[in-house]
Amino acid sequence: MSVQTAQPFATQSVAEIQAGLKAGEYSAKEIVDQSLERIEALDPSIHAFLEVTADAAYEQAKRVDETLAQGTFDELGCLAGVPVAFKDNMNMVGTHTTCSSNMLANYVSPYTATCVERMIAAGALPLGKLNMDEFAFGSSTETSAFGPTNNPWDTTRVPGGSSGGSAAAVAAGLATITLGSDTGGSIRQPASFCGVVGMKPTYGVVSRYGVVAFGSSLDQVGPFSRCVRDTALAMNALAGPGHDPHDCTSQKVTTDFLANLGDGVAGMKLGVVPAFMEAQGLQAEVKEKIEEALAHLKEQGAEIVEVDLPNAAAAMSAYYVLGPCEAFSNLARFDSVRYGYCEPGCKELGVQYEKSRSAGFGSEARRRIMLGSYLLSAGVYDKYYYPAQQVRTLITQDYVNAYKSVDCIIAPVSPRTAFMFGEISDPAEMYLSDMFTISINIAGNGGMSVPVGLGAQSGLPVGVQLIAPAFKDENMLRVAQALENVYGAAPVAPDFAGKEGA
Amino acid sequence: MTQYLTESDVRRIATYARIGLTEDEVGEMTTDLNNIIESLKPITEYNLEGVEPTFHPIGGLVNVMRDDAEQESFTQKVALENAPKQQDGCFLIPSILGGGDQ
Repeated sequence: MSVQTAQPFATQSVAEIQAGLKAGEYSAKEIVDQSLERIEALDPSIHAFLEVTADAAYEQAKRVDETLAQGTFDELGCLAGVPVAFKDNMNMVGTHTTCSSNMLANYVSPYTATCVERMIAAGALPLGKLNMDEFAFGSSTETSAFGPTNNPWDTTRVPGGSSGGSAAAVAAGLATITLGSDTGGSIRQPASFCGVVGMKPTYGVVSRYGVVAFGSSLDQVGPFSRCVRDTALAMNALAGPGHDPHDCTSQKVTTDFLANLGDGVAGMKLGVVPAFMEAQGLQAEVKEKIEEALAHLKEQGAEIVEVDLPNAAAAMSAYYVLGPCEAFSNLARFDSVRYGYCEPGCKELGVQYEKSRSAGFGSEARRRIMLGSYLLSAGVYDKYYYPAQQVRTLITQDYVNAYKSVDCIIAPVSPRTAFMFGEISDPAEMYLSDMFTISINIAGNGGMSVPVGLGAQSGLPVGVQLIAPAFKDENMLRVAQALENVYGAAPVAPDFAGKEGA
Repeated sequence: MTQYLTESDVRRIATYARIGLTEDEVGEMTTDLNNIIESLKPITEYNLEGVEPTFHPIGGLVNVMRDDAEQESFTQKVALENAPKQQDGCFLIPSILGGGDQ
């Protein structure tokens, strides 16, 4: 039996955990003991974790406890003693990195991703690796080859995806911060479905070195947490050390993501996009919540301004051209020779390629590879791929124009709350769940989901999306904190709150 | 609905992309791909004359060169750790041209 605390450590915020550590109330080792017990007891009901990294967590706890003994805890880093976990497309030496695919079921990380390394360098305690849609292709985590993750708010529903395990682990209080990746909404949509904070920073803010690539002009890594301050702390840990020489897209970012959390929204100009609010398919309970959030922000002194993103409707088809094309290129590396699944007994290399790739990849991965291959073929390229890149120019210009009059845009994250398993089986319909998030990946700026309570009909979490200008991610954190001041930090899902799990 | 791809097109793409498909899977894939391509139609209908493409979301990227200094990298052992088959410190593959025994 581990140490007894009023609230389990992994359900606490960074500030709460660190205050107790510094006061000598418990050790980092005790945080790991209790957090691992909690995962063992509670994770079977949601299946957020694919692998638990007890050795790495204890090794790091030792480092944290040594600094406590030496009085150097404050120098360790902003996440010292904080239980964290990583999406399973992020390499971490000593763990598997499966991308929830049979293709990589036995793959062992030969090195550690920069984002993982920086979280650990900041003192975080790594608890494990988290479930996802296979190769991040999906919006529900149902395409994981190792079984889906359940939504902690209602285990008959999906957690969203593709970073479903990352969102569910935070919502269930199995980690204080997790990392995910977002190519078309894969951080923001699951954050909305699970009622937690999830942030996709501007493209280039966080290094992708060591993160298995899906859409290289779209992918970005970001954090999940239950309060805005913890997300800002994670961003400081991820971006603070500056440009990563291993990733050519990594930018030198000097932002202190904590700096303006207390500034309030008075005097800020916040944009609302009428076409988004009137979009077909946007559920009434989601729309109500967005309008309520806007009213609260207005009450706090923000000016609400209507802005147009006239080409945003084209983002959807542009994304479903660009995403598969880039995925096709990226997934060509799985050749059954250097790593990944290899079909035994093949007498010719060509046969081995075909059999291994067909057995190793799931149906959605195969579909996207095939689609990308078709879209990039001669004659077809000019009809889809090239226009999609032209549309990207228009969408980017739309955002640039909008930000001439506003500091941040407020929008829905997902048109609806979490759906049931198997409820959406048509791939084209599933793609619609990213309708409000995709244009941000196309343009490259930052967006985040902030929980604003439960939908009136479903009783399930609803998130509001805050969209910042490129490399002005601090603008949306400022708005996010103002919303949190009204709605409170994200609660742990009721069935998991307060459970000792030991 | 417009038929963008026939089953024979899908077989050809599968060969190119090195994805082995059974006959049943070819049929299913043909239906799925035609549906998805139909949903991409809006992209073909925009007036994009004179619009420059954006291939990368961060503009103005310049090439970065590091110093030409020796750096430690993977050992051969680590690089081979995930290889399904290896021999004498090399990746092992079956015959490329056919007729091999392995």
